Amino acid sequence: MEDEKYIQFEAYLANELSEVEQEAFENQLKNDADFNEAFQTYKSLNQFLDYKFNNEDASAAFKTNLEGISNTYFNKEEASAEKPKSFNFYKYAVAACVVALLGFFVLNQFSTPTFSDFNNYDTISLTVRGENDDLLNTAETAFNTKDFVKAEEAFSALLKLDETNAEYKLYKAISNIELSHFETAEALLNEVKNGNSVYKNKAIWYLGLSQLKQENFKACIAILKTIPEDAEDYKRAQKLIKKLD
Amino acid sequence: MGEKKIHEDQKYINGLLQNNSFIIQAIYDKFVPKVVNYIKQNSGSSAEAQDVIQDTIMTIYNQASQKSLQLTCPFDAYFFLLCKRKWLNELKKSSNKEVTINEEVLSKDDEAHELAFETSVFGEKQALFTEMFAKLGDACKDLLKATFKTKSMEDVAKSLGVTYAYARKKKSLCIGKLTELVRNSPKFNQIKM
Repeated sequence: MEDEKYIQFEAYLANELSEVEQEAFENQLKNDADFNEAFQTYKSLNQFLDYKFNNEDASAAFKTNLEGISNTYFNKEEASAEKPKSFNFYKYAVAACVVALLGFFVLNQFSTPTFSDFNNYDTISLTVRGENDDLLNTAETAFNTKDFVKAEEAFSALLKLDETNAEYKLYKAISNIELSHFETAEALLNEVKNGNSVYKNKAIWYLGLSQLKQENFKACIAILKTIPEDAEDYKRAQKLIKKLD
Repeated sequence: MGEKKIHEDQKYINGLLQNNSFIIQAIYDKFVPKVVNYIKQNSGSSAEAQDVIQDTIMTIYNQASQKSLQLTCPFDAYFFLLCKRKWLNELKKSSNKEVTINEEVLSKDDEAHELAFETSVFGEKQALFTEMFAKLGDACKDLLKATFKTKSMEDVAKSLGVTYAYARKKKSLCIGKLTELVRNSPKFNQIKM
């Protein structure tokens, strides 16, 4: 039965059925789903085989060409997928530098200045006098190495020996600002400010910085404005006022 | 199909048919990167992407040369959908991989979807036919090869040393056998013919 069916399919496709046979065949296609499915599959397979055997060469040529282009493309893709690592690294490094620099400038320009922007003291040198050498040495080294607890102690000891020394007072005051003992610091600085030493104007500057560290910006500006034009710190005082304003 | 306007991207289909290297290269340059990205983002490797893309182009070529393929949508959408469907099927096959299929919400009459569906069914059918043909006995394979290559059944009969009627009968029975193999395959019902 099944064999007959396929022989009939073949005859129908080859257009070899009589008119009556053809009509009957087409009727069965319409009414018999299973018969129809078998025929459609048979027909598709017929087309498939025809194509398969008659286009082998063209198909193989296409496949070879396609594989060549595909391999070249994907080898390149792999190669370029590895390269960007270093390429991107430099790109990102440069970008990071630009951002860092920009950030540095912008922050410098626009951020509120803080005490830590100004507490880089010049190295002091006190050991020129010949007396109290050990104590001076200690004070000097402590101050220069930013050991302000030790420095404060040393300058206090020195002041006991030389009560009016404005220089000792100034450094003791700075040490106290660093230690956030603002009252002690400001009392000393006011003494210096009201005296007649060369440290007069320096004292005003540090009074300002003391206020800056306490974030009393208005008080800081008011104090800084009293620094006379001929003072060493006048210029940086003006800059600081501008930034705080 | 006749009423629908053929898209200008039909040039890619025609280029494939002519085995035009320039067009094949253009397809790789323009449309492949998107597919590679998609496959890589969906637990695939570069090598897997290469295979999916190559198979897809092969299927398009086969459909175009066997049935005439008329592109009524941009090649980009058609090609991407085909590759995507193929890749998702690959993922389904290897069950140990998690599959999340996020089908874009597109109307069913969307040209690209329709066309891609047609082509992928064609491709699956081809694969099934090829697989089943391999299961045929050598006698049938040889006879079918001779029949389709030689065109004239008389010559086939002569070369095989059999009568014309016998060769004809044998041919239909061999295709019949193949028809049964195909219809009895579990895959057959999964493919909408």
